[in-house]
Amino acid sequence: MTLPKNVYNALEDIVGAESISDDPAVLDSYRYSLAHTAIHLGPFYDTFTPRGAAVLLPGSTEEVQAIVKLCNKYRIKFKAASTFWSAQGYPSEDDTIQLDMRRMDRVLEIDERNMFAVIEPGVIGATLQAEAMKVGLNTHIPGSGCSCSPLASATSYFGSGPSNLYGGWYYDNLLGAEWVMPTGDIFRTGSLGSGCGWFCGEGPGPSMKGVFRGFLGAKGAMGVFTKCALKLFAWPGPESLPVEGIVPAYQAALPDNFKAYTVAFPSWKAWADAAYMIWDTGIGYLAHRQYNMFGRDLKYAMVKILTDPTKTLGDLEELLEDPEVQRITEESKRDFQIVLVGMTPRDIEWQEKAFDEILARTGGWKVEAMNEPEINRWMLLYLIRLGHKNLNLVFGGGYDGCFGLLGAADFGASNAEEAAQFKKEWEKRGAIVEAGGDCMMGPIGGQGGGGTCLWENFTCFDSYDKESVEGTLEFFDACTEFGLEKGWGVGMEKWNSQNRGPDGKTTLKKERDRIHLSAPQPSMFRYQHKVREVLNPNDLGDAYYETLED
Amino acid sequence: MALEDFAAEMDRCSQCSYCKWIPFDQMKSWRFAKNCPSISYHNFNSYSARGRYAVARSLIKGQSGYSDTVRNIAFTCLTCGSCDVSCKICRYNLEPLEMVRELKFRLVQDGQGLDAHKAVIESLNKEQNTMLQPKARRGEWADGLDVARLSSEKAEVLFHAGCRFSYDRDLQGTARAAVTLLKNAGVAVGIMGEQEMCCGGRVYSMGYRDEFTRFAQANMRAWAKAGVKTVVTSCADGYHAFKRLYPKLGSQVEVLHTVEFIARLIEEEKITFRSKVPMTVTYHDPCHLGRQGESYVPWDGVEKKIKGQIVVYEPRRPRYNGAWGVYDPPREILRSIPGVELVEMERNREYSWCCGAGGGVREAYPEFSTWTAGERIAEARATGAEALVSACPWCERNFLDAISALGEPMQVYDIVDLVQKAM
Repeated sequence: MTLPKNVYNALEDIVGAESISDDPAVLDSYRYSLAHTAIHLGPFYDTFTPRGAAVLLPGSTEEVQAIVKLCNKYRIKFKAASTFWSAQGYPSEDDTIQLDMRRMDRVLEIDERNMFAVIEPGVIGATLQAEAMKVGLNTHIPGSGCSCSPLASATSYFGSGPSNLYGGWYYDNLLGAEWVMPTGDIFRTGSLGSGCGWFCGEGPGPSMKGVFRGFLGAKGAMGVFTKCALKLFAWPGPESLPVEGIVPAYQAALPDNFKAYTVAFPSWKAWADAAYMIWDTGIGYLAHRQYNMFGRDLKYAMVKILTDPTKTLGDLEELLEDPEVQRITEESKRDFQIVLVGMTPRDIEWQEKAFDEILARTGGWKVEAMNEPEINRWMLLYLIRLGHKNLNLVFGGGYDGCFGLLGAADFGASNAEEAAQFKKEWEKRGAIVEAGGDCMMGPIGGQGGGGTCLWENFTCFDSYDKESVEGTLEFFDACTEFGLEKGWGVGMEKWNSQNRGPDGKTTLKKERDRIHLSAPQPSMFRYQHKVREVLNPNDLGDAYYETLED
Repeated sequence: MALEDFAAEMDRCSQCSYCKWIPFDQMKSWRFAKNCPSISYHNFNSYSARGRYAVARSLIKGQSGYSDTVRNIAFTCLTCGSCDVSCKICRYNLEPLEMVRELKFRLVQDGQGLDAHKAVIESLNKEQNTMLQPKARRGEWADGLDVARLSSEKAEVLFHAGCRFSYDRDLQGTARAAVTLLKNAGVAVGIMGEQEMCCGGRVYSMGYRDEFTRFAQANMRAWAKAGVKTVVTSCADGYHAFKRLYPKLGSQVEVLHTVEFIARLIEEEKITFRSKVPMTVTYHDPCHLGRQGESYVPWDGVEKKIKGQIVVYEPRRPRYNGAWGVYDPPREILRSIPGVELVEMERNREYSWCCGAGGGVREAYPEFSTWTAGERIAEARATGAEALVSACPWCERNFLDAISALGEPMQVYDIVDLVQKAM
């Protein structure tokens, strides 16, 4: 669709001529490939999200409000996104205006005493962390990495990451928020809404977190968040990371109160027991099963490549034939990474002792190869900054996750091997990377810092290869069937299937309703329908805010 | 190569936007976190490497066509290569810089070149320089210099001044100083003088591959005739052309930047500094000496897959990611000059911010070029340095012009200038 001239001109008057475009080439750079990254649907070969009607770069809350009001006047759908990594942020239907929040990228305030930051949507985790570290604070970074928007994660999608353990899941960390509602009204939530400042997401003031965010978030379908405050936590380290090394093998030697370990266990039960004990003792700054994302069989060889600036993927096969690499690969089968950070020397000393005791009780051990200084310093930097998440796509440009096994540590640990074997068999068919079946990555600790784990089974494929993409889709369909058979429920491979279908557009209502009616609590979606009717009466979002009307 | 040869990469691009930022590990502040001037200035996704992958895909699939906007998207790329460095932190099978070059070549080939660039090409064809100046005046920078002219004599070492040093009166002293330094170190160096021709590097970055090839071949013939085995230059643009691009056409001469030569002389104690230069300076890594200053490694191979779907190359493909550029020699020189205190900008070495002069941007988008330089000057000022030092006349000219336009207080030197002061 071409926007009517009067509408385009009115939008141009709001943002300025240099901040709006309907050039087809520009609009095509705002289309996301659905043969790609953590979209939790498909993948679908050579399929893209629909071309927007125009793309705008608003520079202020006032501009966002004016745009949204205009959209209400002319009944034009709109979708806002910050960093555009994943299909959530893109239009689901034709004739939708794309808002690129990049220009609103300020860290407005870091309140050192009260430990929170106020940010705009274009701020990324890395820059917030860099600024926070200057005053002895740190921010939670979502699992998608520090290139992503903390505001988008906190207000609109999920928000889990390695630092759940100490820093908290984003639902926990979201304080006051400034929300341009789907109608164009500005609504300030939590303590912000009663003029008390940013400090609390629940009040005193209008507590709307459950409405606009809930567990997963509205994923850009219910208005635009233009500011929010996020809880920060302590950083007892240097004001900036002391990075050394030759690209890409950067590393950082942090003080003695920082320790990073890769640990492994003799059984999955022992793995789960260790997780429970970590939560019980309250130790740990972040914990994640990180490098297993490359696959059980490939992870250590990949670490060797990533920590050596002379190596490339072409060295992988040779490394895999090295008996020492094979030994360490076997040793670290059931592993995770943990970073201990002591606020004082006594603190780190105690945490280390406590952790050693946990290992002794569970029969676990530290993988010494990962303690080798060059690797250990690389690992510490990697986990703290989380700036290498593009490695999810290192093999061939396509990745998504299956299963998920989100729940208590025992739940995932009890079923991990079966999920792994299922994938391993499918890997032999050639459509996905043959990585050993177990490519499960996820945090140790969820909301509230403990209690749950997530086991996203990374599935890597080649987005350019039709057979690879279609084979991956076939595999994911099989995963769903298997998961339902096993009583695990529908896995991550289908989390967004009710939002977007094989043509890149909104899933048909019949299918959406089928999925919602088969959910454990369909009434939640009926309730959200009522919410949408009131808060978004012109229905200018899309089906990423999930509703059921029956 | 053709743009279609990048079709696989267009689909395999992570769409992660790492190309818009310096390597995240290296970020020390919000202010100096960005790496790509074109998206930092224009903001639309299309102006980044990932955006240009998408635009290129749209064009080759016939989903969109040429427009002023498309031309701007392509030609505002400085070809600084910072996107390439950041992409390759994690990716081993993407070449965003090469893709953007190919996009420019395609636009030029299809008659979509910019008028501002066409004027440069006309000057190149007529006067053998990119400065819109008469060829006859090219050698004037060396007037009075007692050095062999290799248009009629022979020598194994050639000093190539380059178009900018040849015609920019404010900067010519640096070229003279460089030649004098080489001579005083006992090097039997010669110059081409009036017969020197453009290296072709700048027009290559503008999208004019054929013109580049013609000049490269002409230069190689002239060198062969003069018996040249080593080319030394103080221009990073020329350095990159000779070191990375010419070997693809068969050049086998050794290529050195003046800073590499001087660093070697210091190490061998063949240079003595007699004077102090009390100054706090910060060093700007020119893109074509730093991250694009890696040696060319020939490769003629194919893509293959291992472990089902891991994309690798047979034989192993060389990886240009800025790891092995020329970063240390200039710093060693500065640290050895008595009185000089070197402080680093936040963005340095392989993740340096571009000066704004490259890719034909200075010629076609002067406001954007000045803004880019202004950002770098602000970064230099943030270090507390009195002077911004570099090793490329294009960087130096762009900084000087930006300082003048923006009224910023900052001195600009070439490294050779400081070496000369200290001697």
